Amino acid sequence: MDIKFTLNGNSQSLSTEPDRRVIDLLREDLGLTGIKEGCGTGECGACTVLMDGETRLSCLTLAAQIDGRDITTIEGLQDMEEGIILQKAFEEQGAVQCGYCIPGMEMAALPLLTLHPNAARNDIKIALSGNLCRCTGYVKIVDAVEQAGREIAVKKEGL
Amino acid sequence: MGECPDARLMAGGTDLLVRLRHAGADTKPPLILLSKIPELADIIMANGDLCIGSGASFSAIMAHTLVQDHAPMLAKAVGTIGGPAIRNMGTLGGNIITASPAGDSLSPLYVADAQVVLVSPGGTRKIKISEFINGPGKSDIRKDEILTQIRIPLDDGFQSHCFEKVGLRRSLAIAVASFCGRLRFDEDGTVAEARFAWGSVAPTVARSINAENALTGNRLDTKSIKKSVAEATASLSPINDIRASAHYRRTVAGALLKRFLENPQREKKHV
Amino acid sequence: MNKDTHSHTRLEIGKSHPRGDAADKAAGREKYAADHYPENVLWAGAVRAGIAHGRLLAVDVSQAIALPGVITILTAKDVKGSNRQGIIHKDMPVLVDDRILYCGDPVALVVAETKDILSRAIALVRFSTETLPAVFDPESAMAENAPLLHEAMPGNFLMQAEIRKGDAESEFSACDAVVEDEFSTPVQAHGFLETENGVAWQELDGKIVMIVSTQAPFRDRLEIGHAVGLPFGNIRMISPALGGGFGGKDGATVQCLLALAALHTEGRPVKMQWEREENMLAGYKRHACRMRYKLGAKKDGTLHAIHCNLVYDTGAYAHLGGEVMELGMEHAAGPYRVPHTLIEGKCVFTNNPVGGAMRAFGVCQATFAFESMMDMLADRLGMDRLAIRQKNALVEGDENCAGVRMITSTGIAGCLDILGDHPLWRSANNWKQECPPGRKRGIGLASVFNAAGYGGKVRDSAIAKVELSLDGRIIVHSAVTDMGQGNSCAFSQIAGHMLGQSPEFIELRQPDTATAYPSGSSSAGRTTYTFGNALIKACEDMKARLINRAGLLLFIDNDRDLALEPGKVTHGPSKRDVSFTQLASFMPHEDRVCISQFVAPVCEDIPDTAKGFFIAFPHIIFAYGAHLARIELDTATGVITVCDYLAATDGGGIINPSMFDQQIQGGVAQGLGYAMMEDFQIREGKPLTKDFTGYLIPGSLDLPDTISIPFLGHESTGPFGLKGVGEVAMNGPLPAVANAVHDACGVRIFHGPITAEKVLAAMNL
Repeated sequence: MDIKFTLNGNSQSLSTEPDRRVIDLLREDLGLTGIKEGCGTGECGACTVLMDGETRLSCLTLAAQIDGRDITTIEGLQDMEEGIILQKAFEEQGAVQCGYCIPGMEMAALPLLTLHPNAARNDIKIALSGNLCRCTGYVKIVDAVEQAGREIAVKKEGL
Repeated sequence: MGECPDARLMAGGTDLLVRLRHAGADTKPPLILLSKIPELADIIMANGDLCIGSGASFSAIMAHTLVQDHAPMLAKAVGTIGGPAIRNMGTLGGNIITASPAGDSLSPLYVADAQVVLVSPGGTRKIKISEFINGPGKSDIRKDEILTQIRIPLDDGFQSHCFEKVGLRRSLAIAVASFCGRLRFDEDGTVAEARFAWGSVAPTVARSINAENALTGNRLDTKSIKKSVAEATASLSPINDIRASAHYRRTVAGALLKRFLENPQREKKHV
Repeated sequence: MNKDTHSHTRLEIGKSHPRGDAADKAAGREKYAADHYPENVLWAGAVRAGIAHGRLLAVDVSQAIALPGVITILTAKDVKGSNRQGIIHKDMPVLVDDRILYCGDPVALVVAETKDILSRAIALVRFSTETLPAVFDPESAMAENAPLLHEAMPGNFLMQAEIRKGDAESEFSACDAVVEDEFSTPVQAHGFLETENGVAWQELDGKIVMIVSTQAPFRDRLEIGHAVGLPFGNIRMISPALGGGFGGKDGATVQCLLALAALHTEGRPVKMQWEREENMLAGYKRHACRMRYKLGAKKDGTLHAIHCNLVYDTGAYAHLGGEVMELGMEHAAGPYRVPHTLIEGKCVFTNNPVGGAMRAFGVCQATFAFESMMDMLADRLGMDRLAIRQKNALVEGDENCAGVRMITSTGIAGCLDILGDHPLWRSANNWKQECPPGRKRGIGLASVFNAAGYGGKVRDSAIAKVELSLDGRIIVHSAVTDMGQGNSCAFSQIAGHMLGQSPEFIELRQPDTATAYPSGSSSAGRTTYTFGNALIKACEDMKARLINRAGLLLFIDNDRDLALEPGKVTHGPSKRDVSFTQLASFMPHEDRVCISQFVAPVCEDIPDTAKGFFIAFPHIIFAYGAHLARIELDTATGVITVCDYLAATDGGGIINPSMFDQQIQGGVAQGLGYAMMEDFQIREGKPLTKDFTGYLIPGSLDLPDTISIPFLGHESTGPFGLKGVGEVAMNGPLPAVANAVHDACGVRIFHGPITAEKVLAAMNL
């Protein structure tokens, strides 16, 4: 089927099987390999993308479901102020080890930071609770989201 | 559906797509996406019922003030499902049709005596959730029907509410046992009505009328609590699986009830 | 790398510079093996046996091969080499040619145009088998007349060994207190998020090129060559950053299958990526272990004698099972002085999934038993749990339980002191008294240590290569995989420090056997230690050479006033400089490359305490740690919350404090998973925990904010005093949580993991 959607701010039209997994569409057909497949069953969050600003698991989303929607992947973060702040915080806080979960983590953190940049540490943990990391023990990941939140809050107040 | 009898209806897809994961392209059924019908996600009040569209996501349910005000335990229960992204995708209707005994949204619906609304070309019918789900993965849905809405009767007379889930971890966890309860007290402090339901301890979410009756007309004291817990654990029929033994599930089911009864105000509704 | 942020920030040892790979990884730009989709790529997948023990009679591919889009289906007869892979013992078939020894054994390899066609074709491959009687636990495998898995291995023993020092058996009578018990630990899955995968193709000259998620690219060539019949010089392995490894990518996973496929696709690239379910079934696992312990002490708490017996279930194939057991035995009595030790080990084949390498292999099993015994002994003697550990802690010059004299840095006592001074320990009683109703609180300790390096009889060597590129940067050719632990970032930091460079003048290349030099595997806490030492020497050479060549260009007759600065060599007195690009265009290629080898020290004075080991005994360098867990227990459900966790660690000198903490916090996280929920369940050789829905690893809400405190030691043989700390932290959580549970409610759990169900059952006994 022909589907049309917004991908990282640009409109995208393509023809695909309606039941093609969005993760395959993004990684294999469009070359956006930033999101990862860790389990294929919605248990790890490594494939998280935003659809209309909300987190979704692209391994359990079909092409037909994103028709007409607004999709953001990790590759789109560099065009968003919050995204740049968030990535820099992950780098500076030492939140990244193998890095395979990190794009999904950032996508999971982004909606929280956009709505509640001053979110409490436990709320950050809840926001990340669908994303598994096997390297870090999450401490520095939560630190990074906290740092990003502080910086985003300052920016917002400054406006 | 009339044109394509093999088709499967898909709501959030968080269960169905996992089950179809290893079905080859030649065995995969055509899917009809319910997310294309936005009306199915409505959450409204109608005829004194809280009406939740079958397509409402768990996140939408958690965040909705009508749910928070009138079905706070449902809001709490759906907040324990999966992780945030799963809750953005999964729907109440999907959780009902999946009909897992571990469906976390279900016990509050049982306790509230919720009804499901089923629509087919032949008309509309309403049926109580406890009569609709009749086994693990089994429900009374007919081939030409769509589950459109869940109707939760408003009953604000209950003063105490509780939902608690025990899993093997604190997110992305299938319940080992879960419990939802509510209590209505008379002015003299005796229990006027009690309703309890448990997840993951029977082939379907289970009520225990005996455990409820053990309290009705009595004060909550050591004796009545003990009797109610004993009735509850006797009535449940859990299984052993990789997550837990039947014995542990039964013990926890009783312990969660006991904890609620010993401190029934702790989940006081915030209307 | 964001150049603005770091420009002119020289890399220095001891500073928490952001990791060199963090920006790319945080932006989703890092290309892992799984991210390679070459043009025209084909997909390969294995048909798995599904039975635990049997004889493969026939494979019928007719239906599958008829499916449009199936390129080829290969069976054992298509394997031209030995058809056997394995790190030490070549006992594991690439494709089954006779006997199936576990459910994950591959019987055929399908290559198809798409992933979808591949999965349909796999389902259409038919094969017939004769089922044979199987053994699913070491006891039945060791029984008389048990079916034999490997004919050359009587009794199903991969290895039997003992370490004997003094006279443990008779010295128990000289003890004032003796405790005795049995313990067991479960199978653990690595749970790396990037499953086993790679791509491979054959070049026109016949060479095979592979990009694989692997911890041992150089050794892979030997295994592949042996198994599929290729000169290993004709195999080029490229190992990009790994999405986790933890030991599970040490040894062949997809390698031989992929090479075999690539030999049959006429140059078209082939990709293989295991699904999570396949990783659970066919990926290597941590060995389950059963342990019997007897420990005796004098009444002042001085340890006197230990006798223990460890039985490891190695599954169907050897992998590193013998070495796993060796390491466990060498650590079996903890980082303590014990004069009389008898440590017996058996590593046994069963028809279970294959036990392999995993972070702190062999050791975390024994640590659970030993550190539980230490608390039991303290209770018996009425001693403080910290004091008994401090009293017996090894110091330099002591003999460890294997009879090896500790001549390298030995910081366990310092770690225990950090713990004893910490508010989490000092406030323990108050904290316990503030426990809310319905809960119980407890505090648990564990001393840990973990050997580094390959151990006796194995040349533990790395060869570093640094190169001045034509565009004026220093290229570090890493030859040891970065599976996430950050060794490659440490290499950049070392090179930057040695050569006075900022990050933009350092380029780190991940291992490629075509351009780097054999340096062993990324494992055993030896990666940064061994390669780092080699790199220091290579950088010293490079520094001297750049200064010397700059002197040539500047007409300066000595090196005295020449110095390296970011991107250039400067001459202070004359304020002149030569840029690296100028130097590079002046120097011939071979002049721009410095290569240096380091061979790790081995034990010079091997005690005659051990019998039965093939290699690996003994080790001489150890990282140490002291761990503390504070837990709260829900008495109604048995559910445990780990409220606080502290790890004090002796890793010698520290190259990057932030990366040091990463290793400790990550090791503790895996250890807490092992302590509380991870349990790879198998019935009749088949995994019951088949995927990430069944096999649970901790999420963000399950773990405390682990505090890591370094004990500032110095290992004189290490690069900048460093010892590897990748493994040591894994060992603490299981015993620390077990001891905390006992402290909270008086119940001791002897069989990991410590689930709510086990705790509640024990409390209600």
